[in-house]
Amino acid sequence: MPDTPPNFHAPASDVERSRLNVDRGAVPAPPPVLAAAALSKGYRSGDRRIEVLRGVDLTVAAGESVSIRGESGSGKSTLLHLFAGLDSPDTGMLAWEGRPALPPEHRAAFLGLVFQSFYLIPELDALGNVLMASRILHPPGGAERERAQELLQRVGLAERGHHLPAQLSGGERQRAAIARALINRPRLLLADEPTGNLDEKTGDSVIELLLGLCAETQTALVLVTHNAAHAAKTGRQLFLHNGVLG
Amino acid sequence: MPWYLYLALKQLFPTGRRFPFFTAISVMGVALGVMVLVVVTSVMGGFGSEIRRMIVETQGEVQIKAQNPIDDYSAAIRLLDAQPDVAAATPISEGGVLVEHSKHVAYSFIQGMDLATVDSVFQLAKYIYEGSLDNLDDDSVILSSQLAAALAANVGDRIEVYSPLLIESLKSDTVVLPREVRVVALMEIGHQQLDSSRMYGTMRFVQGIYGLGHSVHGINVRLKPGTDEDAAAARLNAVLPGTLRAFSWQDSFQEFLWVLGLEKGMIFFLLLIIVVVAAFSVMSSLLISVVRKTREIGLLGALGGRPRQVAACFCAQGFIIGLSGTVLGLALGFALLAVRNDIVLGLARATQREEVLKRFYQFSQLPAHTLPGDVVEIVVFTLVISTLAGLIPAWRAARLKPVEALRNE
Ligand SMILES: Nc1ncnc2c1ncn2[C@@H]1O[C@H](COP(=O)(O)OP(=O)(O)OP(=O)(O)O)[C@@H](O)[C@H]1O
Ligand SMILES: [Mg+2]
Repeated sequence: MPDTPPNFHAPASDVERSRLNVDRGAVPAPPPVLAAAALSKGYRSGDRRIEVLRGVDLTVAAGESVSIRGESGSGKSTLLHLFAGLDSPDTGMLAWEGRPALPPEHRAAFLGLVFQSFYLIPELDALGNVLMASRILHPPGGAERERAQELLQRVGLAERGHHLPAQLSGGERQRAAIARALINRPRLLLADEPTGNLDEKTGDSVIELLLGLCAETQTALVLVTHNAAHAAKTGRQLFLHNGVLG
Repeated sequence: MPWYLYLALKQLFPTGRRFPFFTAISVMGVALGVMVLVVVTSVMGGFGSEIRRMIVETQGEVQIKAQNPIDDYSAAIRLLDAQPDVAAATPISEGGVLVEHSKHVAYSFIQGMDLATVDSVFQLAKYIYEGSLDNLDDDSVILSSQLAAALAANVGDRIEVYSPLLIESLKSDTVVLPREVRVVALMEIGHQQLDSSRMYGTMRFVQGIYGLGHSVHGINVRLKPGTDEDAAAARLNAVLPGTLRAFSWQDSFQEFLWVLGLEKGMIFFLLLIIVVVAAFSVMSSLLISVVRKTREIGLLGALGGRPRQVAACFCAQGFIIGLSGTVLGLALGFALLAVRNDIVLGLARATQREEVLKRFYQFSQLPAHTLPGDVVEIVVFTLVISTLAGLIPAWRAARLKPVEALRNE
């Protein structure tokens, strides 16, 4: 195990320690999938500093679904990037299943990501895109191919596996992206406005699918959305306002 | 296959697209460079080996020279004939003379040949385009085409030869008249330097005008086929008496060969620039691809791809383009070489210059000789330069931070 990774920040106090459920000795319950304490993040813009996050606390248990809403520019994407270990907080602490957020190659096995604009690789067909996430971990074998096919079927793209992203509709692309996010059996799925680019009806069905799949596979879900109806379907509804979650 | 190589291949040859247009353009650029390099170095190599053939056929591969005229040359020839490397040997005498014909005067180099053995070493008959070697006797000569032109002399004409001996005799107040000889044949070897101002006569004739008595200036040697000339010269030097030294034709034509090599090197270097230009186009298309794919590259990082793997993905694309271009270029180059004579002949026919072509080159075929070393150099250079072309795009891609790349909407 390497030393403290850059995005790991030692707990500031014993209070934080206890809140994080880390190092507490013999605890019967498993550690939460995601534990964040006092995360803060600011950006320099010119000679001013904007504090986007001012101490975010969040614990997500295995299989739990959480929605985060907030105004545009309130820092939802910033927060999700911190959760994903793509960016490091200025202060505060983050743990994945009780351990510090891991180096990038472990990220792929631990969490799945879904974005507003799909980010499918245009040269790969739907199946290739789904398999890409597992390919980065190790060259895929028969089991991975089977699982990819299964996931495609589950998201309703069984017949479209060999279509390029350009040949798929927006909803179909997001379904492929969801299948890609789930291929490595992650413990946590982070979705940043996954329906932002879809019409209402398509969006509704994508959310249904996402929630259904996560429940089925006991994958924890953090869903950033502007849509109150979608948020209402999650287990816990949170708001990001003035840099804190409430 | 690691994911970055897989992705590199997929980006160049996308699934389901029959003809990868962008890749084809980059590959074509590299292929054209390689093709031109292969064709030009082969044809230059062809001219080089033609020249080698001409020199060897008219001089032999090894020349034995001495400080002073060799008196007992038949003993030396017997010694040479006994050597395993030697196929045949013939004595020669040579020197400069002045020649005159109907008020035209020219300086010429004359070579005297032993008619009994000369055929086994030189293939002069092959280069005679008018008259015949059979008519050569002690009162006649063969002129090189350029000397014949300078003297306005033709077969059957009589020309006068002034030797240095004549000038010596003027000092001692005796009068020696120039030798009048007949022109029995004209010859052309096909190379400026070998054709310049030369004439050939019998051994007795040259011995006569030089006052050599029975001695000769040197012995030219033909080696058994496939013998390395320099090594053979060294072996001959070990057995020859100290007064005689063997020189390979490469030794004798050292400066000329150096100039030939320099010419080839310069042309090779200039043509390499084509490959460099092709590499720039590979680099620019890869850079465009990095900029266009910023978000996808960010996603690969988010999925766990490491920066150096992302870099390897783009370097590999440069390498694959280089490799495809090299293979295609070699194929095109060798195909072009295979039909080169049809092209040259077609051009000559179209411009009605077929005869000119034959007269100037002695061969109606464009020579080509591909050296494996040249091909290896071309392949290695192309692969290295096109992989390097992937390096700057790769570095740009590796520098992208996933967060920033993903925000780039
Ligand atoms: N790299 C950066 N440099 C400077 N400011 C930044 C940077 N990234 C984000 N910000 C700022 O941080 C704030 C939060 O951005 P973020 O994208 O997290 O908002 P959001 O809640 O996701 O908004 P939206 O709902 O529109 O997606 C914004 O004011 C944004 O301008
Ligand atoms: Mg956002």
